[in-house]
Amino acid sequence: MVALYYTRSIMRVRDGLEVAPMSPAEEWVLLFYRLPRVPSTPRSAVWRKLKRLGAAQLGDGLVALPADARTREQLEWIAEEVTDHGGEAALWLGHPLDPAARSALAGRMTAAVAAEYDAVTAEATAAQEGDLVTRRRVLVRLRRDLRRIAGRDFFPAPQRDAARAAVDDLAAASRRTEVRA
Amino acid sequence: MKWATRAGVHVDRAACAWLIRRFIDPGAEFIFLDNPAEVPPGATPFDMRGAALGHHQGRCSFETALGSFDLTTDPALEEIGRIVHEADLADDRYDAPAAAGLDVLIRGLTLTSGSDHATLALTDRLFDGLYEHTRRQLMTGRPPA
Repeated sequence: MVALYYTRSIMRVRDGLEVAPMSPAEEWVLLFYRLPRVPSTPRSAVWRKLKRLGAAQLGDGLVALPADARTREQLEWIAEEVTDHGGEAALWLGHPLDPAARSALAGRMTAAVAAEYDAVTAEATAAQEGDLVTRRRVLVRLRRDLRRIAGRDFFPAPQRDAARAAVDDLAAASRRTEVRA
Repeated sequence: MKWATRAGVHVDRAACAWLIRRFIDPGAEFIFLDNPAEVPPGATPFDMRGAALGHHQGRCSFETALGSFDLTTDPALEEIGRIVHEADLADDRYDAPAAAGLDVLIRGLTLTSGSDHATLALTDRLFDGLYEHTRRQLMTGRPPA
């Protein structure tokens, strides 16, 4: 946990999608799971939850997250959900042994989060053209989106700052209009 | 009675412990386990994998406990269930703006309180207040001043 925080703090790369170098203590929690193909509802429910957590897919039925108390617990409950629906699930805690594979994985996770931040930036910028009601509505939604994305932003994506700034600008624009009106 | 849960309590376990102590078993004794396989004989496990009082059908352990303990007729507890659900799972099933604050406060308390017993002593007071606030709000239809 401490090691992971340290890693995060030294790795604010502003450009590109480089991610933190691996700390020897870095742990990942891995969930192996298998669910019957039918019914498909539990499968998609589990998949949606894994996506929301920002889990990286290592292979068919194998996902990983940097380990902390929260990610371990969340994956434990997903494992329980899998077994509740007649599937099988096993949780593992592990260290990456291959720095290149680990960097590629972290890079993929960061790229996914970066794309989400870029979408927020684009929406916030576009909403500046809308009327006050639209701006307010979009602002509320994008602030919530930012909180959600931050929860799965394990290797702080540099695009985060731009997204926050764009949402702050939208908030400021809404306030200015309010004063004028 | 003895009640066992995982060590390092957070919002769902804290809420369950409060519910147990206030509504089920005033003399409840809580045990915190590092290894979930070590539930002592006679202790009831909660918010652990495999426990009846756990996450089931998309509900958090607190919501499951409300059903198991037949407490679903108290609308204030139901509302707290929605808040705990969002604080624990954040899956947007409910609109519960208090959830984000509750999550932060309890995470902060666990960082400073030194032990799970000490955390629960504080979170019990937190949930007492949340319950009273929710109860009054439901009675008057307005947030209490």
